[in-house]
Amino acid sequence: MIRRCFQVAARLGHHRGLLEAPRILPRLNPASAFGSSTDSKFSRFLPEKTDLKDYALPNASWCSDMLSLYQEFLEKTKSSGWIKLPSFKSNRDHIQGLKLPSGLAVSSDKGDCRIFTRCIQVEGQGFEYVIFFQPTQKKSVCLFQPGPYLEGPPGFAHGGSLAAMMDETFSKTAFLAGEGLFTLSLNIRFKNLIPVGSLVVMDVEVDKIEDQKLYMSCIAHSRDQQTVYAKSSGVFLQLQLEEESPQ
Amino acid sequence: MLRSCAARLRTLWALCRPPVGRRLPGSVPRPELRSFSSEEVILKDCSVPNPSWNKDLRLLFDQFMKKCEDGSWKRLPSYKRTPTERIQDFKTRFLDPKLMKEEQMSQAQLFTRSFDDGLGFEYVMFYNDIEKRMVCLFQGGPYLEGPPGFIHGGAIATMIDSTVGMCAMMAGGIVMTANLNINYKRPIPLCSVVMINSQLDEVEGRKFFVSCNVQSVDEKTLYSEATSLFIKLNPAKSLT
Repeated sequence: MIRRCFQVAARLGHHRGLLEAPRILPRLNPASAFGSSTDSKFSRFLPEKTDLKDYALPNASWCSDMLSLYQEFLEKTKSSGWIKLPSFKSNRDHIQGLKLPSGLAVSSDKGDCRIFTRCIQVEGQGFEYVIFFQPTQKKSVCLFQPGPYLEGPPGFAHGGSLAAMMDETFSKTAFLAGEGLFTLSLNIRFKNLIPVGSLVVMDVEVDKIEDQKLYMSCIAHSRDQQTVYAKSSGVFLQLQLEEESPQ
Repeated sequence: MLRSCAARLRTLWALCRPPVGRRLPGSVPRPELRSFSSEEVILKDCSVPNPSWNKDLRLLFDQFMKKCEDGSWKRLPSYKRTPTERIQDFKTRFLDPKLMKEEQMSQAQLFTRSFDDGLGFEYVMFYNDIEKRMVCLFQGGPYLEGPPGFIHGGAIATMIDSTVGMCAMMAGGIVMTANLNINYKRPIPLCSVVMINSQLDEVEGRKFFVSCNVQSVDEKTLYSEATSLFIKLNPAKSLT
């Protein structure tokens, strides 16, 4: 156990940049990525009963492509192990009772914080999206419809909004597939412009998990697969959240 | 992918005192700006201090404004939306007219300016034409959160993309992002101020290579590094 801690510390030393207090040894137990604590991770992330508003649900702004593809994936949640991820206004709502490892956690008296991809709450104006996750295959699909407040070139989505959606999908996938917490790198190859209001389908896969890092890839395309909007790869750092100390 | 193309068009048109004898190749000659009252709202320059700017941002802003005094640096204005006539011009030059949707135009806003003061992206860019450097002073507000207390990786990507894109556009006119490659070294705390220093590294025909780093105000902390490739658009070829 002690030797394991030192091994972890040595590896963490390589990520000194992200962990400003190298003396801190987060409890990294590879076995927890699978097995019983996965259930607890899911149950915290996907609360059965909550008052929190789930933004990843159809509304009047969703185009017909998005609605029908959403229905298709809802069927898959019943038949082939897919899970629809809820999407709350803040990431803090997704990890209730947990916090970032000490040394990284910052005091949060910032008032009203929002997760970036839910920054614009007027229906249809900003990010409209829903993520489905398949835990066994370690795959995700994100249905994304950019609104007019995400504009870059006239009539088209800002590339930063696609980058943000890719980073967010990678982030949730990494968290559920292997306790990924922070983006280490993002590499995006843009191919085609995305018209505002159209549907983007993003297929995400975990390619490998090694050395405390999750490697993922993504292809963003139109529903009929005829247009590829962009391809990307992302690497995330594995880090365990800690229990919040009881008040 | 066009990087904040509209924003850059606006900036090019709005730069006061055109550089002596020089116009960027491929750019539109600057027409007179007529101020209708609705246009005044759209044409409000957002890259100036407002009450949400913290002390660090104001200090840096003053330092860079001093650098502008001898003309080596220029502050770039930044607007929420493109006036209608400019949109028409862009569409005519680059897009297939049959495919454009009219209804969306009236609601659109540049993504990085779609927030009330202090909540999202507060930023200003300064350009040095001799060194081909674009510096962006950026303060990320509480609506840009990712991990609790830190800025979302996608928000950082958006600002990096806007900065390197603007750098490429100053050199190459209307350009499109082809690649964006970001290495995140340290998470950026919410509501802190960072400097995005970008540099045009190389030009090969229609390709523009731009790199940048993201640092703390005192330059002691490196938050991220990025490289990018932009392609100059060919007006003869439609984008859609």
